[in-house]
Amino acid sequence: MSDRRRDIVIETQDLVRHFSSGGSGRTVRAVDGVSLSVERGETFAIVRESGCGKSTLARLLLRLIEPTAGTVVYEGRDLSSLSPRQMRAARARLQFVFQDPFSSLNPRMTVGTLVGEPLIVHTGLSRSERRTRVGELLERVGLRAEHAERYPHEFSGGQRQRVAIARALASEPTVLVGDEPVSALDVSVQAQIINLMEELKSDFGLTLVVIAHDLAVIRHMSDRVAVMYLGEIVELAPADALFDAPGHPYTEALIAAIPVPRPGREEHGEALGGDIPSPLAPPSGCRFHPRCPYAVDRCTREKPMLETAGRGRLVACHRQKELSLAGVGAAVAAGANEKALRRFELYRQHAEGNAAGSG
Amino acid sequence: MSVETVEAGGRANGPANAGSGDGATVLRVSDLSVRFAGQPVDTIDGVSFTLSAGRTLCLVGESGCGKSVTSLATMRLLPEKAARITSGEARFEDRDMLRLSRREIERVRGDRMAMIFQEPMTSLNPVFKVGDQVAEAVARHRKVGRREARERALEMFRRVQIPAPERRLDDYPHQLSGGMRQRVMIAMALANDPKLLIADEPTTALDVTIQAQILRLMRTLQDESGAAMLLITHDLGVVADIADEVAVMYAGRIVESGPVETIFNDPQHPYTIGLMSSMPTLGAPKGRLATIPGSVPSPFEFPPGCRFATRCPFAQTRCFSEVPPFERNDDGHGWACWRTPIETIAEAGGHA
Ligand SMILES: Nc1ncnc2c1ncn2[C@@H]1O[C@H](COP(=O)(O)OP(=O)(O)OP(=O)(O)O)[C@@H](O)[C@H]1O
Ligand code: SF4
Ligand code: SF4
Ligand SMILES: [Mg+2]
Repeated sequence: MSDRRRDIVIETQDLVRHFSSGGSGRTVRAVDGVSLSVERGETFAIVRESGCGKSTLARLLLRLIEPTAGTVVYEGRDLSSLSPRQMRAARARLQFVFQDPFSSLNPRMTVGTLVGEPLIVHTGLSRSERRTRVGELLERVGLRAEHAERYPHEFSGGQRQRVAIARALASEPTVLVGDEPVSALDVSVQAQIINLMEELKSDFGLTLVVIAHDLAVIRHMSDRVAVMYLGEIVELAPADALFDAPGHPYTEALIAAIPVPRPGREEHGEALGGDIPSPLAPPSGCRFHPRCPYAVDRCTREKPMLETAGRGRLVACHRQKELSLAGVGAAVAAGANEKALRRFELYRQHAEGNAAGSG
Repeated sequence: MSVETVEAGGRANGPANAGSGDGATVLRVSDLSVRFAGQPVDTIDGVSFTLSAGRTLCLVGESGCGKSVTSLATMRLLPEKAARITSGEARFEDRDMLRLSRREIERVRGDRMAMIFQEPMTSLNPVFKVGDQVAEAVARHRKVGRREARERALEMFRRVQIPAPERRLDDYPHQLSGGMRQRVMIAMALANDPKLLIADEPTTALDVTIQAQILRLMRTLQDESGAAMLLITHDLGVVADIADEVAVMYAGRIVESGPVETIFNDPQHPYTIGLMSSMPTLGAPKGRLATIPGSVPSPFEFPPGCRFATRCPFAQTRCFSEVPPFERNDDGHGWACWRTPIETIAEAGGHA
């Protein structure tokens, strides 16, 4: 992780955040010793578990909450060492897109005010310059300049997410952290927002950190992927490698569990058994052992460390070297049948032709 | 391809996919329309479908397209003041659900017709033990004693593979994980051996590994019981996994339906094609995703013709004013579009 040639934008070291669970005096280990480093210009994805650890990591990355232990280093500086003023400046460069854009947008503010607000704080633009800039930003995210007069509730979910992205862009960030940025959206609209984020990433040279549970979304967007289980990273690898040949049994199980939109497919593998253990009392040894089909005695006693396992890959599993795990098989990766694929392509051509014609 | 018109009236109508000999018809919904108070048009407009014993129909479509309203109308669970059923019938065991009295409805619901919702927390009572709630569901419809009802609950807990079922009976809902609560809901729904099961997004709130378990369980239980199932989802992956038949819904109408292989291998309606092509896949990424522009219109914005016209890349003037008829071919595959197959559009001169 200390490779000097890598241009690291944001890095966490042994990041821990525990919450005490109401009254019981027990501790929820939402984030439990996470170390990762995000390179400039990449899209780094974190596979989030549903349930525990909700948004905790994203909030820690932006220092919206304080870690129990560990550090977040942004552009070489420990966020916890920054003065309030420095922190504000850092926060401008580190922007956030939430799952539910509605709860993050003040319903009483017009879209113009919402998008213009960061410009007041972070730029010296005059009022009329700001108005122009807001118009530009709205158009950049696929809305219209006139939309500045409207209120968030007048927009659909996808449009609100565009407003949230325009607002994030206003402070000229270098890093955009998306916490389930598309999971509240319908597939058709989800695709619009994914395309938009990818466009903005290349236009503005952004670094993206995407925290999501949907592996297909992650596969589509990311360069590198970290998989978390019960608050810990169990595997971190380049996206292609991770999906083609997972290094950790949990990654394999996740891939196998995804329902693939192709009927009549052979059941691939056994469904992962067991329930997700309570984060209040994570299992001993390897936390995955009660559900792992490859578990051996050692796994129940000894905690596996996150170790290098081939190019750019880290895996926390005692049996990593001996196991050969199934990834997204050829059958799953292959497209739909010819006829359907031809229609998808026709659809795409017409949809894009129309968009270009009317834009 | 030979296409036969099943509805000459010009309303956008879903088909009647009688399972080809596979199972007897359990529920036949025809021409169901629902209008909400203060709305200019019927939000649900002329929906028809058929459920057969031992088979699963998936109702799929984006948020707000009317999946839940359709199923709630069938179960008579819509608020009667706010939602008026303006046409149609729902034949279940030779009776029209839409015209039964309240008392009669309540006798059917939870007995021969059962429902599972997305969030079990809202359908389980937090202050009662889960075992008692399942036993109560049994006792409501069967002349059984307390002991017997509880035994039935235990048996159901075993069937839905709840570990340590004896102990779990005495748990309260909040003591169970999301997956376990959903198993309890399934146990409760199946406790009286329903002939028809309606499941509205039963796995959407669950972790994918747990979703896979629940879907597998539902399939097994259906094989055992031979119940007909209506499964509502927005996830095409779930559809491919579990459906025998698929009905694709858009803005309150069924726009395409047919056997699951046909829908995935020979999708015809531009909305179906748009939905499928905008999904990211697990395969290596291939650049920009296709999208469906804009978003689902509100009933105030529905065009008088094809409701997809405001977003369809193939829309012509006619589409906005004339409702395309739902036409079904001999294979039970039907759709409602003026311009299919879309290949002919490209051949006729391509896009502008
Ligand atoms: N009580 C009501 N009054 C007015 N409109 C309603 C009412 N209930 C539902 N609707 C409208 O009916 C339409 C269909 O809603 P429905 O809940 O059936 O969608 P859905 O397909 O189940 O969506 P989702 O995937 O989000 O669950 C929506 O436009 C919704 O706003
Ligand atoms: S360490 Fe053992 S239990 Fe954990 S993932 Fe590896 S094989 Fe499975
Ligand atoms: S081509 Fe016309 S009729 Fe067919 S889906 Fe598009 S708008 Fe509707
Ligand atoms: Mg619904």
